[in-house]
Amino acid sequence: MSISVREFGESALLVEIGDRIDESIVSRCRAIADAWEAAGHGAAIPAYASVVLRFDPLRLDPREAEREAFGLSQRAIAIATVPARTIEIPTRYDGPDLEATARSSGLSVDELVAAHAGREYRVFFLGFLPGFAYCGMLDPRIVAPRLERPRERVLAGAVAVADGQTAVYPFDSPGGWRLIGHTELVMFDPARQEPALLRAGDRIRFVRS
Amino acid sequence: MIRIISAALRATVQDRGRFGQLRAGVPPSGPADPFAFAAANALVGNDPDAAAIEIVGSPFTFRCDDRRVIAVTGRDVALRLRDRIAGWTAVFARAGEEVRIVAGERSRFGYLAVSGGITTDTVLGSRATYLPARLGRALQAGDALPIGAMRVDPTRAGRTLVAPEYQDEQVRAITGPHAERFTEEALAVFLSSTFQVDASSDRMATRLGGPDVVARQGEILTCGVLAGAVQVPSGGAPIVLLADHQATGGYPVIATIITADLGRVAQRLPGEPLRFVRVARDRAVAALRDERRAFAAIA
Repeated sequence: MSISVREFGESALLVEIGDRIDESIVSRCRAIADAWEAAGHGAAIPAYASVVLRFDPLRLDPREAEREAFGLSQRAIAIATVPARTIEIPTRYDGPDLEATARSSGLSVDELVAAHAGREYRVFFLGFLPGFAYCGMLDPRIVAPRLERPRERVLAGAVAVADGQTAVYPFDSPGGWRLIGHTELVMFDPARQEPALLRAGDRIRFVRS
Repeated sequence: MIRIISAALRATVQDRGRFGQLRAGVPPSGPADPFAFAAANALVGNDPDAAAIEIVGSPFTFRCDDRRVIAVTGRDVALRLRDRIAGWTAVFARAGEEVRIVAGERSRFGYLAVSGGITTDTVLGSRATYLPARLGRALQAGDALPIGAMRVDPTRAGRTLVAPEYQDEQVRAITGPHAERFTEEALAVFLSSTFQVDASSDRMATRLGGPDVVARQGEILTCGVLAGAVQVPSGGAPIVLLADHQATGGYPVIATIITADLGRVAQRLPGEPLRFVRVARDRAVAALRDERRAFAAIA
C-alpha cells in the first residue's frame, strides 16, 4: 500500500494511504491514529483513507515527525483494540427525502426502507459535528447524491443517506445529506461518560419503529 | 471570583482548545486568535493552559473580588480603570475595582486574562466553550466565575508585549496538503490575489470573496482538518478554518496559514483585504519559536 506523508501547516502532517472508501483502509487509518497518540506526540484525526497527525514543532522536529509518521504508518496493522459493539437505532422512516430517494433509486418506498434497515453498517469515523458518525456502505441500489443546495436546518435525530453512506444528525444543523427518517436516540450528550453514542469500528443497524 | 457586570455582544471562557475529542467529531474551539490569547496569559503569569475570556463587541465590564494582575489583548483593545491603559499590558486591578474593556472600531476578538486563570469546571477535558453543542455557554451579566490563586506579585504590572501588525493584510501560508489538486494557474491566482473578508465570517471560519480559485477536482474523500487550513469549496471562494472548525472536511486544502499568523486572519473585519504569501515550513517554526521566546522573556 502506498503511503504519502504531507505537510499540513508546521504543526501537523497528513498521512494518506489510499483514495477510496474501504473498511480495511479505514481501520488501518484508525490504527495509525492510535499509534501516534500512544507515542504522546499529539492528537490524531483518522478519516476514510487519511490521518491528520498533530504535534508541537518546538518539541518534535517536523522532519523527525515525518520519519516517525512514515514508519508508524508502515507498521500499523488494523487490530480492533476495543471489541466492536452492535448498536440498534430505532428509526421511523418518515424523512422529507424518502420518496424522492426511492424514486431516484428505482425502488418503492418499502423496498428502500427494507434495503436501508436490512443490513449492518460499520462506523468509519466521526466528524462534521460532535457525534456525527460516517457509516457504510449502503446497498448499492440506493442512489443518493448529496443535495445540490444543502438545507439550512436539519433536525437532530434525522437519519440520512448520501453517496453510499448513512448517518444520524446529532444536532440541528445545516446539512446536505438526504433525509429518509428519524430516531429519538441522543447521538451526543456531553453529560454521558462517553458523549458520542457511536464510536469508530462499531456496527450499527437501523430498526424500523 | 470575577464578577461580570456587562457581557458585551458575546463573551465566552476559552482555554487553548479541546483537542482530546476531535475523534468524536467535537471541534477544538478555544481562542479564534491563539497568539493574542497566549499573550494575555503570559502577561499575567499564567500557564499556557489557563483559561481566559474571549470577548466580541462591547461593553464588557467586570470586577474581581480580590486584587489581581489582569491584561487584555486582541485587536484595537484597551482597559479603563482609573485611567485608560493600552492593551497588551499587565495591569494591577484593586479588589472590587470596576474595569471596562474598551473595544475600538477595529476590534473583533479581545482576550481578558486574570492572574490565576478562570477555573470553571471542565467539560470533556477542557474549559473551551463550543456554543453549537452547548459545551459551556455565553457569559451573562451577573455571572461570577471562580479564578485560581494569584501566582505573581503586583510588581508584574506594567510589563508589555507587542501586538501583531493587525493592519497588515498579508499572511504567511504553507502550501498543501492538497496543492496538487489545483493547477499552477489556480495556485498563482491564490498567491497573487487580494481577497476580501466576507461578512459571514465567524469563529468557525474566515470566508473570503475575490477571484475564484478552481480545483481540478471539486471534492476530496473527507479528511481531518485543522485551524488555518484554507479550504476551497467547488464554488472557488476560499475559506480559512478557525477555532470552531469541524474536525473533518470534504474540500481540498490549498494551503495552511502558519500558526503565528492565524490570529491575524481571525481578526480581519468584513470587507478588509487579505493576501497570502507562501513560506517554507522552517520559517513557520521559527516564527513560533520567536513567539515563545517573547513570552518567556516576560515570565
